[in-house]
Order: sequence, then structure tokens, then C-alpha cells
Amino acid sequence: MSAPVKVFPAWIRRAWPSGAAFAEVKALLSGLELHTVCQSAHCPNHSECWGRRTATLMVLGNVCSRHCTYCAVHSGKPEALDQAEPDKVAEAVARLGLKHTVITSVTRDDLPDGGADHIGRCIEAIKERCPETTIEVLVQDFNGDRAAIARVLAAGAEVFSHNIETVERLHPRMRDRRFSYRGSLQVLKTARELAPERILKSALMLGCGETEADIVACLKDLLEHDCDAVSLGQYLQPTPKHHEVVSFLPPEEFQRYERIAYDLGFNFAVAGPFVRSSYRSEELLDAPFARARLSAAPSVARASSPAPQESAHEN
Amino acid sequence: MRIEVPLPSLGEEEDAVRGGTIALWHVEEGATVQEGGDLLELNTDKAAFVVSAPVSGRLVEKRVSEGDEVSVGDILCVLET
Ligand code: SF4
Repeated sequence: MSAPVKVFPAWIRRAWPSGAAFAEVKALLSGLELHTVCQSAHCPNHSECWGRRTATLMVLGNVCSRHCTYCAVHSGKPEALDQAEPDKVAEAVARLGLKHTVITSVTRDDLPDGGADHIGRCIEAIKERCPETTIEVLVQDFNGDRAAIARVLAAGAEVFSHNIETVERLHPRMRDRRFSYRGSLQVLKTARELAPERILKSALMLGCGETEADIVACLKDLLEHDCDAVSLGQYLQPTPKHHEVVSFLPPEEFQRYERIAYDLGFNFAVAGPFVRSSYRSEELLDAPFARARLSAAPSVARASSPAPQESAHEN
Repeated sequence: MRIEVPLPSLGEEEDAVRGGTIALWHVEEGATVQEGGDLLELNTDKAAFVVSAPVSGRLVEKRVSEGDEVSVGDILCVLET
């Protein structure tokens, strides 16, 4: 039975989930039949985040229509939509007493709008039930569909995120071929055109074989496409079948990239081995620029009814 | 009282992490450990994880060794409180 034991660098170490708060979150979410990216992506922060009673809800099911080589979420033929999901999501947010939440989803190329309306309804349901709760929505690329992006924006989540995930050179190797590096940048640009005041965020995994020049070029591309905030974390291989980890960057390297991101002009940057786009995502909203944005567009924070018009909640 | 310590479950759903490989024991048989103290380390494919003691007690029996594959629910050791 004694296969050679894999050795991780000393800093790639987390607590195994346990404890009362973790159990409570687990029971509540499975009772409501909700999925989380914490669980589906085998996130190493699972214990800490659930212990702090936060979780990232993954809507539109737990089967993705795309297949990226780094991702643990199952791909295949997605199931029918759970029409009660918006209510269940709002119920979970209310019962967990969340002040901030992240909503993400699998990609649904099988749905005409990519699931944008369903995501919008989830956001609206939370806003109605918990008007004080701030929301980050982390979306797929919707194949660039402007109307789908507008639908999600109109629901009024304070932060709109789309992850570039990896640098341009590694994009074809890491991501499903239906994603493209330029297409992902354009999602952010489109969101900015539709919602000039919205906080736009993206995230990048490091340790996949990228160079410093690759990373800097990617950060500049994000800035040129009007991204406000970026998070950088260590890529970790979910199973031996997934893309390999090329390097484990020490924590100091992440700090250096965080500084580089600020120097290049990001309004907010966070980097660290265990930083994920949803890890301590609420800290972004405490940044001075974010507070200024939210007070400039107070209707975003208080959106309560579906907006039929694009960007109706802006300005 | 003797308490069997299982590897805590992360969730019943099929996409949850189901276990890992024992990497290292932090406590020897006969030694005591405090509630919340480090018991052992376990590797999943993604990272190393520290499993902590659910109660304070003396470790009377290790049921798994370094290199063993364990699943959630498997008994890792017995603690005497
Ligand atoms: S970092 Fe995000 S995905 Fe990971 S456990 Fe925390 S909330 Fe869940």
C-alpha cells in the first residue's frame, strides 16, 4: 500500500474540513440541493470558507457543457434547469446570514441565452430577500452574446467577474476550445460599455508554465479592457488526469505580482497561493475605489426588480 | 472513554473529495493531543491537509500508516479521553 507519498511545498497546506460551522453549511446546502464550486472544484479553502460561513454557489447545475483541462467540475450533457433555484439560492443566503456572496455557474452552451436569465433571477431573488447582501457574479463568456451579458448586469450584482484564467500563450492548452483569450477580454469590455460604473474583476491561475512576461502582458490586456480588479492564485491539479502543475510559486512571488498589478494600474489586486476568485471576495468592496463606485451608482446595490433595458441600473 | 476518529466527510455528493493518502503522523502512539491539535497530514491531488483531533486525549492506536489510501469515514485512530 505504500506508494511514494507526494510532497507538496510547505505552504501548500490547509486544514481538512471539520467542525460545527462547516457541518452546518454542508447540511443547509445539501438540504436545499444546491451546488458549490467549493465542493465541485475540490477547493482547498473549503474548510476555511465554510468555517466562516461563506460559500460560492454554483447555479445552472453541476455539469458543464465545456471541458477545460484544469477544472474538476464534471463536463457532459447538462440536466434540465431547476426553476426553483433562484428561491433556493436566496434561502441559503438568508439562512447563512451572508453579507456578501459569490454566484457562479457552469457553462451552458445548450441554453439559448447561456443561462443568463436564470443567473439574473438568482441575483434578483437574493436582492429581494436580502437587500443588504452584496453580490459578485462570476460568469462564463456567453459566446460574447451582448444581450446575455446585459441581462446579468441588469440584475444588479455589485461585482461582475469573468476570469481570463491563464495567459494568452497557454489558453489553447488549458481552456475548452470554445473559449478564447481575446473573447474573454471582450466580455469585460462589453460589460464596461454596458455598465460604466460596475466593478469588473478577473482572475488568473499561476504555475501552469507561464513566464513573467506572459503574466505582465495578460495584466496589461485586462487593464486595456477596463478590468478594475484582479486575483492571482496557484493552480492546483485536481486529479492526475488534469493539466499538470508546472511550478509552485512561493508566497513572496505572489506578493511581487500583487505589487506589479497595482503598479500597472489595477484598482484592486490580491495574490497568494490559495487566492481564488471567490476567496475573501468581500474585501474588494472595502477598497476605496469600490466604495466610490457603489456610491456613484447606488441603484446597483439596491436593484430589486428585473430591468428590461440594458444597463438600466447604471447612471 | 475510547473514541474512534474517522476522516470527516466533505459531503455526500459524488463530486466531493472522497479521501487521500496519509502523508505524515504528527502524534505518536501513547502521546496526548489537544482538541483541534494536528493529528496527521493527508494529501489529496490538490494539496496537503492537516486533520485535527476532534477531542483532547491520548492516542492509543493508529489504524492507518503513512502511504495508506484512506476514504472519508475510515477510522484513522483511537483516542482515549
Ligand atoms: S475560495 Fe471560493 S470556491 Fe474555494 S472554498 Fe472559498 S468560496 Fe468556495
